[in-house]
Amino acid sequence: MTARLPIPLRLFLALLICWLMAPLIPLAVWSGSRSWYFPDILPSAYSGRAWSYVFSSVSGVPEGLWQSAFIALSATLLSLLIGLPAGRALGLYKFKGKALFELLILAPLIVPGIAAALGLHMVFLKLGLTGTMAGVVIVHLIPALPYMTLVMASVFAGYNPAAEQQARSLGAGSFQVFRYVTLPAILPGLLTGALFTFLVSWSQYILTLLIGGGRIVTLPLLLFNFASAGRNDITGAISMIYILPGAVLLLIAGRYLTGRNSAADSLRQI
Amino acid sequence: MKLMPVSLKAAQKGLFLILTLFILSLFIPRAFANGMTYKSWDEVVTAAKGGTVNWFMWGGADNINQYVSGWVGAELKNRYGITLKRIGINDTAEAVNIVLGEKKAGIDDAGSVDLIWINGGNFRTMKQAGLLYCGYLELLPNNRLVNWRDASIANDFGLPVEGCEVPWNRAQFAFAYDSARTPNPPRSIRELIDWVKAHPGEFTYPAASDFNGSVFIRHVFYYAAGGPEKLLGPFDQATYDAVAPKAWKILNDMKPYLWRKGQTYPNAIAALAQLFANKEVALYFDYDPAIFGVNVENGTFPATTRSYGLGDGTIGNTNYVAIPYNSPNKAAAMVTANFLMSFDAQYEKAKPKIWGTTPAIDVAKLTEAEQKSFHELPRNPAVVAPEVLAKHVLPELHPDWIRAIEKGWQENVAQ
Repeated sequence: MTARLPIPLRLFLALLICWLMAPLIPLAVWSGSRSWYFPDILPSAYSGRAWSYVFSSVSGVPEGLWQSAFIALSATLLSLLIGLPAGRALGLYKFKGKALFELLILAPLIVPGIAAALGLHMVFLKLGLTGTMAGVVIVHLIPALPYMTLVMASVFAGYNPAAEQQARSLGAGSFQVFRYVTLPAILPGLLTGALFTFLVSWSQYILTLLIGGGRIVTLPLLLFNFASAGRNDITGAISMIYILPGAVLLLIAGRYLTGRNSAADSLRQI
Repeated sequence: MKLMPVSLKAAQKGLFLILTLFILSLFIPRAFANGMTYKSWDEVVTAAKGGTVNWFMWGGADNINQYVSGWVGAELKNRYGITLKRIGINDTAEAVNIVLGEKKAGIDDAGSVDLIWINGGNFRTMKQAGLLYCGYLELLPNNRLVNWRDASIANDFGLPVEGCEVPWNRAQFAFAYDSARTPNPPRSIRELIDWVKAHPGEFTYPAASDFNGSVFIRHVFYYAAGGPEKLLGPFDQATYDAVAPKAWKILNDMKPYLWRKGQTYPNAIAALAQLFANKEVALYFDYDPAIFGVNVENGTFPATTRSYGLGDGTIGNTNYVAIPYNSPNKAAAMVTANFLMSFDAQYEKAKPKIWGTTPAIDVAKLTEAEQKSFHELPRNPAVVAPEVLAKHVLPELHPDWIRAIEKGWQENVAQ
């Protein structure tokens, strides 16, 4: 049983949540409005038009949602498989050229994506990966991997591998060591890294458009069409769908991330 | 020190998965090379059957999306067995860049773009870089409905079309206002200049980087030059140097009276539409007057919105569809382009509930019954009649001129 939070802290938390949620409210209202003029507090007319467009066969939103989810999940899985061993190597060992490796891993975060996009397009064209799901997943790894690797490196920097040797000396096999020793220790970091990767992949626009060649249509592609055209109602409706997976994942991950004094517990106290 | 067997295994698995994905992707069928030329229309239609057309177009209007993905898609499927795939983009340049990248990578017969909604600078880029498939227009039966003698159709922003694109819509710049709020809007650039000073904060225009902001600035430029005549043809530095200072002076004098005292300009036409909808500014304008009706229908603009052209004329253009040189589905794309020019397709999109845009074909070349249907179409009261607008139509400038004016505005007015 955790102690109750002091009142000022609770107030602060409530404010923080409002501040994070507030921008989403107009989007939700827009999605159901027909006309909403400044400075009215509420729309002057409501309509389900935006939602019926979004779910029509023309909009491509349902397909976009599945494509986005499949790509983001694949990218997350692949970046786990690559980022976990890489992060372990960077966090636990000293080796020649480590600083250079770290810099190279950071490079995709330093170089603006748009500058690299056209060059990447060329490389992917030559590899025959454009217009394919695999190509889009792989290109999403480029901006996503640094997050995963760096999070895992910092997790492993504070990790003592001696526990693995103890387990092994007690007769545990490779899988058992991973399942019962390594995994529990790195799980919060792993989930943080996975969440980052998922969201980075989820929000890609220009890389998806160039590498997907229009054949792979994800939600951001559809969303930005309407956002840039000033159609607030349809933008609002697609946005509601767009933020859903991130919010759900955050809530699920939140339970595992902070342990006993979790965000969910603090929420319950407010 | 022992290596980490678990993570190593994971790494191997990861590598294996990537390799598998990569190898699998190689087997995704590439479209077949399409180097053949067609001798007759029947050959094209036969070759088009079962084809897929990836049509890249600006995707920010749900009504246009509905028309293309819904009506056009269904008709193409029924009549020709063609599958139409609309790919919505923010900016036509994105599709141009895809084709450009493919050309650089040597992908000359298996491109990902089959059709682009295009005009102006993007057409110029593609034509000059040899990115377009040209010279098939005579094959298209509906090409006879186009009045190629009209210079504003035969030239796309001053650049000869030369069989490299197919006209789809016509558009002519117009102003919109709320008749309930602004009974007497300014009817010429001369009047606008005085009106802005008399109504501080009620007017602004998007920056030159926006398509519609740029065309507004050109209207001021025409006014400063005393008409477009001197500005037509290839770019001329001496003429520019004589006219530009006058135009920048007009716009700079206007600046303190603009919305937010001209300290900032809307970055896109959508932002100006929002300001007009919110009653922050009194005037709106657009290259496509159909948008006024669309915005009244969808509730963005008040029902009392009305529109008009300027007494000294407004700039008109034609927009087109073009087929990239490396489209793997040229026959299907040609059938699509031909269908878009047909009476059925042009009439459907001229309906105000659908889109309300002006046809690119010459209505006078249609049968009498077809002409009658066009003339009997209802018009949204917010949209000025195209015939009225067309009485004073000004030509578009060569893309080099447009670029110089946009750059000059950034340097001399926006700063």
